[in-house]
Amino acid sequence: MKVAQLLDHRREQWRDLEALCRELERRRVRRLGPAAVLRFASLYRAACADLALADAYQLPIDTVQYLHELVGRAHNQLYRSQTFRWRHWGHEMFFELPGRLLADRALWLAFAVFWGIFGASLLLAFSSREYCERVVGQEALAHLEASFSQPVVDRDGTGASAMSGFYVIHNAGIGLRCFAAGLVFGIGGLLITISNAVQLGAVFGHMLTVEQRANFLQFVTAHGPFELTAVVFSSAAGMRLGFSLVATGGLARVASLRRAATEAVPTMGAAVILFCLAALIEGFLSPSSAPYAVKAGVAILSASLLLLYVVGLGLRKH
Amino acid sequence: MVAAHRAAANNSDMANPRRPLDSRIEIITPENIAFQYVLAGPFRRLPAYLIDCALCIAVLVGTLVLLSLSATFAGILTVGIGLWLVFAFVLSWFYFSLFETFWNGQTPGKRLLGLRVLSVDGQPINALQAIVRNIVRNLDAMPMLGANAELGVPFYMVGLLAMAANDRYQRLGDLAGGTIVVVEKRSALGGLTPMRRGDVLAFAQNIPVQFVTGRALAQALSIYVARRERFSAARRFEIARVLAEPFCERFDLPEETDPDLLLCALYYRTFIADRPGRDASGPVAVPAVAEGAGR
Repeated sequence: MKVAQLLDHRREQWRDLEALCRELERRRVRRLGPAAVLRFASLYRAACADLALADAYQLPIDTVQYLHELVGRAHNQLYRSQTFRWRHWGHEMFFELPGRLLADRALWLAFAVFWGIFGASLLLAFSSREYCERVVGQEALAHLEASFSQPVVDRDGTGASAMSGFYVIHNAGIGLRCFAAGLVFGIGGLLITISNAVQLGAVFGHMLTVEQRANFLQFVTAHGPFELTAVVFSSAAGMRLGFSLVATGGLARVASLRRAATEAVPTMGAAVILFCLAALIEGFLSPSSAPYAVKAGVAILSASLLLLYVVGLGLRKH
Repeated sequence: MVAAHRAAANNSDMANPRRPLDSRIEIITPENIAFQYVLAGPFRRLPAYLIDCALCIAVLVGTLVLLSLSATFAGILTVGIGLWLVFAFVLSWFYFSLFETFWNGQTPGKRLLGLRVLSVDGQPINALQAIVRNIVRNLDAMPMLGANAELGVPFYMVGLLAMAANDRYQRLGDLAGGTIVVVEKRSALGGLTPMRRGDVLAFAQNIPVQFVTGRALAQALSIYVARRERFSAARRFEIARVLAEPFCERFDLPEETDPDLLLCALYYRTFIADRPGRDASGPVAVPAVAEGAGR
């Protein structure tokens, strides 16, 4: 059989497959009906066979190119992306992740670095105003003191949601950037973590020395545990990425990075959830005139929830 | 066991050393069929990215305008702004991930320009890969003008460097997620070039009946005939002569034979028919080879 005959014979099938691909790209599979799906599968197999034999058939080069594209297109419709499998992610977040967090040395390092430097910076700022001015800047300090000079009062209730939205976009953005920067051998994330810890420590230390102390504590207590833990989590997730490039465990660097990414993303997901929870508290409860006991209670409750999540759920796994 | 697993992971990751430096990548499907994709380089991906960015900005500005219009009627402005900020957060960080997850590796911009994200082994991506490659995008986008503002202007120099440093145009996000971006072209079926010129049909008689075209020759003929229309007569002569001269000697044809005509006749004999007006198969070995390979 000559190629011309073969092409005449096959052309119609290829056109059919092309039309089915176009349908599948536009519509859901279910709408297409079982007959069309079966036909798609058999047409796909036929096109694959034609492509495999293209060399033996001596098909012209344009036709081979067309077949490569056609099979590629059909392949992408046959094998489709896996969307979120909720059960899988739920299992990951509540059964796998806590144990991994507890055993993750990157998390302990991030935890130690953040809280160690935070504490040191707090002590320094507590004892010397000059340190604080150098780190935070004079203007920023004055601005900070001014903004806490009034006791916390209820906003008219509507401003709270706007502020919550702002905290989500601002804080979770910082966390995600810290995660991405961690890819640079863990150093990028470490630097961001250190700088955050120094800044926050200096602000806390300074605000504890001035007379606006009570107003400041009124504001920061309630959302503190969630927000600071989220910072630590996102920095740890970034370091997990970065360190995987150094300690590859026998894999090629890129393969090691890919494996670390599957472990780090759930951690980062937990961090984003914590940022959102913190933003809700920061928007609604922190600036309200609720008594300090309520805010402290929320802080204690959220801290013990976190402890329960990481240690309680984590130890059960081991 | 562990060692074998690691070796497999390493192998799948390392580029085939014999793969020529090319923008094509060969994928072997579970059906054991090898087919090729064209990889999308930075300058194919940039327009798709710009389209996506423009879409994001348009949606954000549009919703903000709608919000401020509706707020004049009801006092929901601040609640609305809160929701809008959360929406802006989701859009700016997860627009690409969500579309690539639910649209089978495409965003609106990619769909418009026929690009698709796949795993390095040619399989479709999953949600995790889509999230990884698009969070690390933030690092690829460096240096960023106004990096601390939410609306920084990215320059993507890190991503460009990473793409230049590997042979699959992967930016750092692609490397971390194990993904590639391919072009999904939709060219029309380019069939045979019809040969209806009388002189070609007549000349085809001069080629001996028992002559069988080899694979390499068939390929060369198909490439030449597909493109000859674009050349001038002099250029055609120059190109065709290289291939035609040995055949002139072999078929005992006169030396002044037009090389273009000879190649067209060979093309006719190889792909279309043995004799003018007769499409029946001659004593050519092609079907036997085809069926043999099929088994």
